[in-house]
Amino acid sequence: MDIQLCAKVAAFLGAGMAMGFGAIGSGIGEGYAARQACEGMGRQPSVADELLRTMLVGQAVAESTGIYSLVVALLLLFYDFSNVRFIQIPAFFSAGLCMGLGAIGPGIGEGFTAGKACEAIARNPETAPLVIRTMLVGQAVSESTGIYSLVVALLLIFVV
Amino acid sequence: MEDLTYVPHWVLNVGNYKITLNSVTLLTTWGIMAVLVVFSLMLAKRIRTVPGGWQTISEVLIDGFYGMVIDALGPEIGPKYFPMICIMFIFLVLCNWIGILPYMSEPTKDINTPLGLGIMGFFIAHGTAIKVKGIKQYVKEYFQPIFFMMPLNVVGEIAKVISISFRLFGNIMGGSIIILVVSHLVYQLILPPFLYGFFGLFVGTVQAFVFTMLTMVYISVQIR
Repeated sequence: MDIQLCAKVAAFLGAGMAMGFGAIGSGIGEGYAARQACEGMGRQPSVADELLRTMLVGQAVAESTGIYSLVVALLLLFYDFSNVRFIQIPAFFSAGLCMGLGAIGPGIGEGFTAGKACEAIARNPETAPLVIRTMLVGQAVSESTGIYSLVVALLLIFVV
Repeated sequence: MEDLTYVPHWVLNVGNYKITLNSVTLLTTWGIMAVLVVFSLMLAKRIRTVPGGWQTISEVLIDGFYGMVIDALGPEIGPKYFPMICIMFIFLVLCNWIGILPYMSEPTKDINTPLGLGIMGFFIAHGTAIKVKGIKQYVKEYFQPIFFMMPLNVVGEIAKVISISFRLFGNIMGGSIIILVVSHLVYQLILPPFLYGFFGLFVGTVQAFVFTMLTMVYISVQIR
């Protein structure tokens, strides 16, 4: 069979899986953060501005694994298929699978962190700078596994 | 899509070895460093009791950072490491923001810049640990809680460097790929400025802050 066509099939399957699975984690996580922010605003309307800011920053960081999934999906979609080798067919497929599944965990985890940060600020608004700083560092560390997925996916696309 | 992964470079032949220098990355980082040095010298020359505009901005930034560094590293070591941490943040913010200018590309989009800074942070953290705790205590901590945990602890330390540098690289690289592709899809209409605002200014600032904070946290974990 034609290798080029096979590679295209594998890359398109991979792109779909990368973005499809990758959207799960960030979606759940960001929704949870928004929920906690609403709850906090209901309890303490006076810190609504602070809560909105924390929620948006936390969600933006929680979205980063979803953005990595989008990057991998776009790279697979717009890849130059003119001289592919046979070994790249499974590599494209597994690059998508790797980034898609790898994005679930960090997305949920970071969203939970953002949600709990909103809750903590609603309960004790004076600690807001400390909470936001801890939230950012904690989210960054829990994102590590998503970054490993991105590195492996990029290696699979460009180095294999 | 090849232009995304292509990094312009010079190749020097020294004897039998080939040395590759990434030209645009080098020029941009040295340019940013030169701008920072000149700016600091000019600012330091005319410090007044009643501050002007630039002095106020830099004082607010430096005051905020000083508190954070002292909180994390303690009053003895903190002041010594504060200049390095503060300038690292300013340098990274400028590196991430420079991509919004036409014909410029972020030096952090090239993995060598974040990896270099990450390795620098690694050596600073471990050097500080040896200086503060002594070499005996430092080596002993690798064998905590049980002796056969040593390989895992070593791998954990190396993984820190990889995760910190690839986080910055992945975010900036991903942002620029999305800007490129989406701008192309909408024929450069309406959307691109907002994309540059989000991925260039907002994500760039957050990631520079996270990188700096994590470097600081790694140092403070090592000295405790």
